[in-house]
Amino acid sequence: MKIKLRVPEWMYSPGVWALVLLGAAGIIASMARMVYGIGAVSNLNDAYPWGFWISFDIYTGVALGAGAFTMAAVVYIFDLKRFAPLVRPSVLTGFLGYAMVAIALLVDLGRPENIWHMIIWQNHTSFLFEIGICVMTYLTVLLLEFIPVIFEGFRWNSLVHLWHKWLTYPLVILGVVLSTLHQSSLGSLTIIMPEKLHPLWWTPFIPVLFFVSAVTVGFAMVIVESQLSSRAFGHGLETDLLKDVAGWIPYGAGLYLILRFGQLAFEGKLGYLFSSGIYSVLFWAEILLFAIIPGIMFLQKRFRESPSGLMWGALLVVAGLVLNRFDVSLIALGGRIFDTTGYVPSIPEMLVSFGLVAISVLVFRYIALNFPLFESGHADHHVAHAAGEQVVPAGD
Amino acid sequence: MTKTISRRDFLKVGGAVASALTIGTILPPQVASAARQAGLLDAQGNGSIPTMCEMCVWRCGVLARVEGGRVVKLDGNPEHPHSRGKLCPRGQSGLMNTYDPDRVLTPLIRVGKRGEGKFREASWEEALDLVAANMLSIKEQYGPEAMIFSSTHNLSQVQFENLLNAYGSPNYGTQRSLCFNAMIVGNLMTYGMEEPGRSYDTLEYIILTGRNLAEAISTSETGDLIHAIDRGAKLVYLDPRFTKTAAKADLWLPIKPGTDLAFHLALLNTIISEDRYDHNFVEQHTVGFDELADSVASYTPEWAAKITEIDAETIRTVARDFAAAAPNALAHNGWRTSNFENSFQTARAIAALNALVGNWGVAMFAAAGEGSSALGAPPQPPYPRISAIRLDGVPWKYPLVPYKLGVFQELRDAIIAGDPYQAHGWFISRQNPVGSLPDRARTLEAFGKMDFIAVVDIFLNDTAWIADVVLPEASYLERYDPMLPVGDKAFLRQPVIEPQGEARSALWIYKQLGERLGLGDFFQYADDEDYIRQQLAPLGASLDEVKEKGYVLLPQEEEEDIYHWNTPSGKVELASDTLRNSGFASCPTWEEPVAPPEGQFYLLTGKVGQHTQFATQNNQLLHKYQDEPRLWMNPKSAEKLGLKDYDLVKVTSEAGSVNVMLQVTQGIRPDCVYMTPGFGHISKGWTTGYGVGASDSVLHISYTDPVSGSQALSQTFVTVEKA
Amino acid sequence: MTSITDPSAIKHRAILFDATRCIDCRACMVACSVENQVPNDVTRIWLAGGEVTGEYPNLQRASIPYHCMHCDDPACASACPVGAYSKHPNGPVLYDPDVCIGCRYCMNACPFDVPHFEWNRGVDEHARIIKCDLCTARVDKGGEPACVATCPTDALLFGDREDLLEYAHQRIKEHPDRYIDHVYGETENGGTSYLIISHVPFEQLGMSTDIPHESVSELSEHIMEFTLPFAFTWGAVLTGITIATHQMHKHGESKSAKETVEAEAKDED
Repeated sequence: MKIKLRVPEWMYSPGVWALVLLGAAGIIASMARMVYGIGAVSNLNDAYPWGFWISFDIYTGVALGAGAFTMAAVVYIFDLKRFAPLVRPSVLTGFLGYAMVAIALLVDLGRPENIWHMIIWQNHTSFLFEIGICVMTYLTVLLLEFIPVIFEGFRWNSLVHLWHKWLTYPLVILGVVLSTLHQSSLGSLTIIMPEKLHPLWWTPFIPVLFFVSAVTVGFAMVIVESQLSSRAFGHGLETDLLKDVAGWIPYGAGLYLILRFGQLAFEGKLGYLFSSGIYSVLFWAEILLFAIIPGIMFLQKRFRESPSGLMWGALLVVAGLVLNRFDVSLIALGGRIFDTTGYVPSIPEMLVSFGLVAISVLVFRYIALNFPLFESGHADHHVAHAAGEQVVPAGD
Repeated sequence: MTKTISRRDFLKVGGAVASALTIGTILPPQVASAARQAGLLDAQGNGSIPTMCEMCVWRCGVLARVEGGRVVKLDGNPEHPHSRGKLCPRGQSGLMNTYDPDRVLTPLIRVGKRGEGKFREASWEEALDLVAANMLSIKEQYGPEAMIFSSTHNLSQVQFENLLNAYGSPNYGTQRSLCFNAMIVGNLMTYGMEEPGRSYDTLEYIILTGRNLAEAISTSETGDLIHAIDRGAKLVYLDPRFTKTAAKADLWLPIKPGTDLAFHLALLNTIISEDRYDHNFVEQHTVGFDELADSVASYTPEWAAKITEIDAETIRTVARDFAAAAPNALAHNGWRTSNFENSFQTARAIAALNALVGNWGVAMFAAAGEGSSALGAPPQPPYPRISAIRLDGVPWKYPLVPYKLGVFQELRDAIIAGDPYQAHGWFISRQNPVGSLPDRARTLEAFGKMDFIAVVDIFLNDTAWIADVVLPEASYLERYDPMLPVGDKAFLRQPVIEPQGEARSALWIYKQLGERLGLGDFFQYADDEDYIRQQLAPLGASLDEVKEKGYVLLPQEEEEDIYHWNTPSGKVELASDTLRNSGFASCPTWEEPVAPPEGQFYLLTGKVGQHTQFATQNNQLLHKYQDEPRLWMNPKSAEKLGLKDYDLVKVTSEAGSVNVMLQVTQGIRPDCVYMTPGFGHISKGWTTGYGVGASDSVLHISYTDPVSGSQALSQTFVTVEKA
Repeated sequence: MTSITDPSAIKHRAILFDATRCIDCRACMVACSVENQVPNDVTRIWLAGGEVTGEYPNLQRASIPYHCMHCDDPACASACPVGAYSKHPNGPVLYDPDVCIGCRYCMNACPFDVPHFEWNRGVDEHARIIKCDLCTARVDKGGEPACVATCPTDALLFGDREDLLEYAHQRIKEHPDRYIDHVYGETENGGTSYLIISHVPFEQLGMSTDIPHESVSELSEHIMEFTLPFAFTWGAVLTGITIATHQMHKHGESKSAKETVEAEAKDED
């Protein structure tokens, strides 16, 4: 009897193989951490208790997942329904991003078995407590926001309808409130460290700066994610939507610039701008990458309307944001009293982070290929129809 | 990664199984029940038991906290004058000494070749029988003098000496000549006692010559020094190294090695020539002043300045300030004075210096020896006559060295030479000659001549590593030892926990051995507690009382005339006829020290507060907090040799060479290098200490001062180069 | 006893360290490790300073046993999300390893960089923060902290914070040429219970003199208090916007729907 072997499509793709290997490496490194301790896998030490995992997985991961709440707000709170096609992928990106944060936490926490403690033992003066509770809750919100896509995949349409009727709006509003809180609080964590965080970054005003920059990078990530998935999954780029999203970025960047320099001036810190050596360089790099260059670019139509222009501009915003998060959580966080070894992330350390990203990309890919990710969704049917949009049937 | 301690499988030491003792009816005391009886432990095995530390010779009183039959903490006993409630880092680490996973807990008999470290476990019966058989055989074939007995200094020393005297050997090796012979003999010649006591209570001016009290910690004395400085006393400190004591000094003098003598002779010269001495004291209580004055007449500060590399004005000022502070001025006689062949003269000069300022009864006073006539002792027959001469040249080569001090390096050299006769056996207790004697290669050569080597110790130290039989002594927290008088009390060492494994006290071991050697009459105590009871008998105190308090009060002798010394003249001898008649200088006299040739360094040794000589490098708690043992070198010298901090360097002397990591530091004279002593162990039975650092004993060349028999450890010169 | 206050009268437990008396023997460290059963690869006390400084032969060395400062308003307790730290009413800052999640925010929050972490423990070994607890159990039984009890030179003293401050200032006054005129810990981070006087400038020994003299937690906690009110306000605002925009668009929709219907109707005409 002949047995027909079917080799799955994905096994022919080198890109997927790379992601699988990276993911596997990340898992192995994580297991090593579990068995031998954080010190055996990472270069974290008493002078640098937070390092690559916190800066990349937590700070950056949370910020780059901001597209979920911003797009959800655009579509549901500000009722700009034509952006609906961008909601689902960004919610999924958000969900996977936050799920990755949670798993990364299991690796970074010294006592992952106690991760649930925040529910019972609560210290209400701690910004980290607030972040923990918000992230826990928001992860649930994201899951609940996204689940209709799964329902649609299984064609449970009445459930989808019910969901949208009763849950979507409260979830979105809750999601925006939670996101506002924890995006800003990630910055507020440093308020208790005035002797450690460099004066160019330390400010009690940091929650506002973090929020504004999160919203801005959320838009940028929507552009990046759309670009990447249109190339990966071969569907068209909604350039007409993206050009509008790109158009919002200069406003975010501009507001950020005003707030940032206003804060520095108000606190009498303008003197640090050019006299802080490497920290001045980092500061200006952030400003240029995150705000100035993409801000100027996206004020111009030709960048907003070209796919490569969109991509480059958005990537600059992301780069600048990542640099800012790394600066605040690691690079500009000095003032260590007993620093004997310094800190450079080890290879296994970075493998854990990149491995987790690889896994979430693989999950994203799986869902994108098997579920109606790039549709507007059932409840938006009549809206889209009314706006004159073509409804893409499910299962394409 | 968390450090994991691995046992040497082939030793398979430890374990809770106590093998049946078939030797007589002597069993180790049941500590727990005895302690409960004395009210020290409650029914759960919790309580506090007073005993004495043994991590160094200061023997601070300790209160051992016991929980559930385990020692959990050691605290200083407030009632002991040496601790006054404190313990130094070694004292605090003491329970790690008892619970060290490398403890030898059963008797061991060698199975491989010497130095392979292959042993098999044996019963006490077999091991003791083997030792006795060998010792008897050597006695029969070669005479008792062919058996060497060496032990550093334990509270059970009296019974060790009992064993060797009863056996009939004259050959007693202690480590004294490696340490303080110069100081002791200097004091004996001047004051007629080994070491006068010191009081810091009223001191205003202190001269320390070496005696790095901040690192060579004697708990109470170190505290006294710091309190004196705190009160405003001035400290002048002579040392080629900037030690932790130097950091507390008002004046640190980085004196050229070997020239302490010149400095002190110049002080004598200044004080005498400027008439700043205490006429009263000198006239009434000393002899030989005029001779001394003549003797030091040429030793001016200018003369000394050229030699010591300290400027004359400083020397003169020190002399004047010292004399001005009299009688609250002290020139410390030092402790480990085994530096140069002229160290004896330095000790003499310092002794004279103190006499000139008449500080007797204020800063210095008569000190009781370690024995006390108030304590009892088991009866014993007289010792057999010993006709053989000692191998270490006492007294025929070293007429003034007391028998109980000896000249250890000479003993070792005579063993190699087989002159005047060949030794065949060596019995060692609580000592590591392979580690501590200078010139390790020669020491190993001497051991190579032995037909039989037996070691009593709690570890496989470097000497036990090459032994034929190892007898496991119980650690100091697990045993009784003879009581020790300190001040107006006699203190007790008692077991705080049951001895682990098969370990036994030295008192028991010596008795067992004695009986097998047919010397049972010399060990007339039934067991350790009986021994103590016999000690207490004249005082009428019960053992239980003493166990509870940890000490017994000694009857105070009437205050005799403190101005009486045990010298031939009955006074302080600034000029000594004894020295003169033995063919030595009667007064402190200049002797030019050797100096290193161009391109070589003085190799200095010293102490660190976290270790005791060669004994503690395996202690995990001390290992945790020690500084890495590297070779100190001044940056100027390092630069000339092209060396950098942390370079691996080869240090070579005429005796041997070692590789060690370099520490470039400002804290040392450019013509000196320094190695922390006590490292570089060769015994693999020390899993924590093995292979850490390097041993300076490999490099040391033996030089002996003819007067005091003192080793001159700083006369070894070395070259240093990249390894 | 090296307590300058009668043990029964101590209201606020504190330790005073006098660097002039310290000989860097490390008995305190060994005693602490034994008393508190600290594993061999971590320590609760470590050394600040201790190196030889200067140029031969004008040299200096000094040392300070460095450990938890037991702040009056501890940043660790403010920052810990699960409240694993607590300030004992009579002084010590205590850490509960059972509550701890190992997030290590305390290590960043502490301005003195005190909490150390057991990096080399697997999940089954339950990694902890390692930190001095002023030997609370030992002191509760009437003793002194192990480090103080054993210090051979009485560089460490124990007692009530007020008494120790008075004593420290008295010493400085009596020996103005000997001490730096500052009691470290008196005001740093708003005041601590580990007080230090020294003959060598503190920064030369590696201590931080950049530590603010009011508590670093105050501002952080102040801002944190706005969280809930802000959340509710923001939620209400968002709800309002949602309703408003939907109303506007519905109106616009019905308007355009009407127009479409009208247009279609017109077309049909």
